[in-house]
Amino acid sequence: MKKLGLVPLVLVVVAGCALGLSACGGSSGKEGGTLTGTYASFPTYLDPTLSYEVEGWTAMYDTYLPLLTYAHANGADGSKVVPGLAESMPKITNGGKTYTLTLRKGLKYSDGTPVKASDFAASIERIFKLNSAGSGFYEGIVGAEKFAETKSGGIPGIKTNDKSGKIEIDLVAPRGTFNNELALLYAAVLPADTPTKNLTTDPPPATGPYMITKVEPGRGWSYARNPYWAKANGPAIDTVPDGHVDKIEIKVVRNDSTQVNEIERDKADWMQTPISSDLYNKVKDKYEGTQFRVERPINLYMFWINTTQPPFDDLKVRQAVNYAVDTAALERIYAGSLAATHQILPEGMPGHEAFDLYPHNMAKAKELIAEANPSDRNVTVWTDNESPNDEAGAYYEGVLNELGFNAKLKTISGDNYYTVIGNESTPDLDTGWLAFYQDYPHPNDFFQLLFSGESISPTSNTNFSRIDDPKLNAKIAKLAQEPLGPEQEAEYAALDKAYMEQAPIVPYGTNTVSTFVDSEIDLDKVIFNPTFGQDLTSFQFK
Amino acid sequence: MASEPNVEVAPAPAGSPWRLAGRRLRRNRVALAFLGLFVLIVAFCLIAPLWASDVAHTGPNKTHTLEKIEAGGETREVVNREGKPIGPQWFEAGGRFFLGADGRLGRDEMVRLMYGGRTSLLVGFAAALIMTVLGTILGLLAGYYRGWADTLIARSMDVIWAFPVTLLAIALGLALAVGGLRIGPLHVSGDSIWIPVLVIGFVFVPYMVRPIRGEVLSLREKEFVEAAEAQGAGPLRVMFGELLPNMLSTIIVFFTLNVANAMLLEALLSFLGVGVQPPNTSWGTMMSSGFDLLTSAPLLTLLPGAMVLLTVLAVNVFGDGLRDALDPKSKVRLEAHSGLSAAETLEGIAP
Repeated sequence: MKKLGLVPLVLVVVAGCALGLSACGGSSGKEGGTLTGTYASFPTYLDPTLSYEVEGWTAMYDTYLPLLTYAHANGADGSKVVPGLAESMPKITNGGKTYTLTLRKGLKYSDGTPVKASDFAASIERIFKLNSAGSGFYEGIVGAEKFAETKSGGIPGIKTNDKSGKIEIDLVAPRGTFNNELALLYAAVLPADTPTKNLTTDPPPATGPYMITKVEPGRGWSYARNPYWAKANGPAIDTVPDGHVDKIEIKVVRNDSTQVNEIERDKADWMQTPISSDLYNKVKDKYEGTQFRVERPINLYMFWINTTQPPFDDLKVRQAVNYAVDTAALERIYAGSLAATHQILPEGMPGHEAFDLYPHNMAKAKELIAEANPSDRNVTVWTDNESPNDEAGAYYEGVLNELGFNAKLKTISGDNYYTVIGNESTPDLDTGWLAFYQDYPHPNDFFQLLFSGESISPTSNTNFSRIDDPKLNAKIAKLAQEPLGPEQEAEYAALDKAYMEQAPIVPYGTNTVSTFVDSEIDLDKVIFNPTFGQDLTSFQFK
Repeated sequence: MASEPNVEVAPAPAGSPWRLAGRRLRRNRVALAFLGLFVLIVAFCLIAPLWASDVAHTGPNKTHTLEKIEAGGETREVVNREGKPIGPQWFEAGGRFFLGADGRLGRDEMVRLMYGGRTSLLVGFAAALIMTVLGTILGLLAGYYRGWADTLIARSMDVIWAFPVTLLAIALGLALAVGGLRIGPLHVSGDSIWIPVLVIGFVFVPYMVRPIRGEVLSLREKEFVEAAEAQGAGPLRVMFGELLPNMLSTIIVFFTLNVANAMLLEALLSFLGVGVQPPNTSWGTMMSSGFDLLTSAPLLTLLPGAMVLLTVLAVNVFGDGLRDALDPKSKVRLEAHSGLSAAETLEGIAP
């Protein structure tokens, strides 16, 4: 009896240990530790109201939370807007003009002061007071435009109740993209008394799982766990992970080769900087799958074509150019970091449905040119001087010459490229290179800026093709007012095709970036959000 | 009958001072060797069209990204899927891609090196000519007239001199590369090769004016100037008929050194993207574009760099030899300092 009784007991103990081990070592990994990361340059701002670059957004994604936020997930899932400091997604009433949200209960800043509904109003006002690059996203709030001028008197379109935590936002007109805009870092909630100045060197208190503890401008910065995350915010916010490491140290290392070297020598755990084309394939070949992963942010690389003047005012000529450009050649020019595409909405963007109206066919392209027989064959090809964009421009010049044009490459500094090609007084704006990075994952962001007739302006023009199709303009305007759902996504997919039939651009690919980590980091768990980049809460030591 | 005194007269050196200088130069084997090297480099650049059409069968800007070539009995991609360009093929592909491809566009490196050299040499010589001509004229005016003309010219040069030459060239190159240069009816487009020529010529002018002015100040006190003025020669005739010929050797030596300086500055400006602009190519732009592939294809940076180095070295060493030949007194002064015999060098100097 004794012997028989021991066997099941031993089995139970062994099975229990095995389960426990698999739970501990196999999937959960180590909690705590210090993550050391490197950046190639210090972000322009470490102030959520002012930051407009992905470097700053990566740095503050887990530090400053807006009412809504982007899901902490990879790929298309990371483009979904989820509640952040708000209890739930907004209730939209009044024909799409009123957004009502309620703050979660018991939230605190990292200095211990409670988060109040009125802080949201103050945070939006701070955007206008500081003339933040994000101002345009919130000008649709009633009274915001006037506040942008006067900088005083408050924004009447935002009503808050500190007791109930209720926030009501009234818009001048329905705005289908407003949820996406509320989830941007510009709208992160900060204490109402936050100074109206750039706080990069002395960042305001945080609401997320991490807080910035020390900033050495130009050299680096540090994070620690927000003490009120575990006590208050963490239990209340189920959409933002707690994070695994206790501390994060970021240092600026200018040279990407040195950054790679530091990871290989265990001196750093992660590099934020995308690896340059020279090193890219070497690192990819050696570490892909274990320490290296290719990521797809949402962007589009293309050649714009001025549809308003010869020879590109002829549809056949524009279609010919689309047939002539070979994305396979451009993939090589971008040394493998380009994912080829021939449509407007890139993969990962809601509304993306893959198609290719112009598969590479030089014979067909030449046929179309012969039919069109343009009298003006002198064209200027614009590009910036940053590699490999300058090489893409040189390739495009060669393609146009092969089609029978007399193309001349005009390469100008990347610092003022968009200013020059966005100014209608610049002579010979025929065609050229362009990269467009999303502000937020909503298809309207692409169509409104790149193709709407409203976007054509004498200076700071963003509709470089100068296409102004009234029917398609009306479609963009209609969809802009509707919240994004499956029906709207299908309409955006149709809009993608409708514009590509007009061939105002030659899209050729999405530029990928990379995540490269030390062997101690669990790569499978690292999240790359298409808008914010690597999610610091996802880094975990094995 | 009184016999003539037996006086041994040293034979006067035969020929003109130029012929004597030529003789001294011919004896300077090192200078001649570097002159030979320079001639080879120029010839290398001059045969670019022949090489491009008859051997490489491509132009300097023709891209071959997706092409494949037959070399050594196998098919090779000009640019592989990872964007790495083909390396030197020597004559395995019949001379095509002799030095490989220049980068991800798959342009023939050898052809670009030859055409790039033509641009670099053109910029070097044209800029040196501008700074030499301008510097000489301004130096002559300042040194001859002295007074207010000297003050005006010298202070203007001081203003330019106050800026570090490289930084000034970068600033001007950057500004003019974007907007071009427009002076009255004259318009030079921002991507024209004449922009770096003018920028380099301009920033180096003070370095030419000052020594020329000093020499004019010294020469204008000599008797031959007095004699010319006594014969009624006007200022222009004195400056360009009397002073200039006496400074010609100095100017020629300066010109060679200016060529070297101009080529170096062109390489730097082009490397930084503010010199020669695409689609024109120079050794500086080639170094710049090759720099992106420094670890995987170092030859793309090293080859044009080596060409700049060899050309500047050749011009400098030959310039030194020319100076020794045209103005041997300077060498005597140098050798006196170093304790060497000057007897050989002094040949032909005695009046």
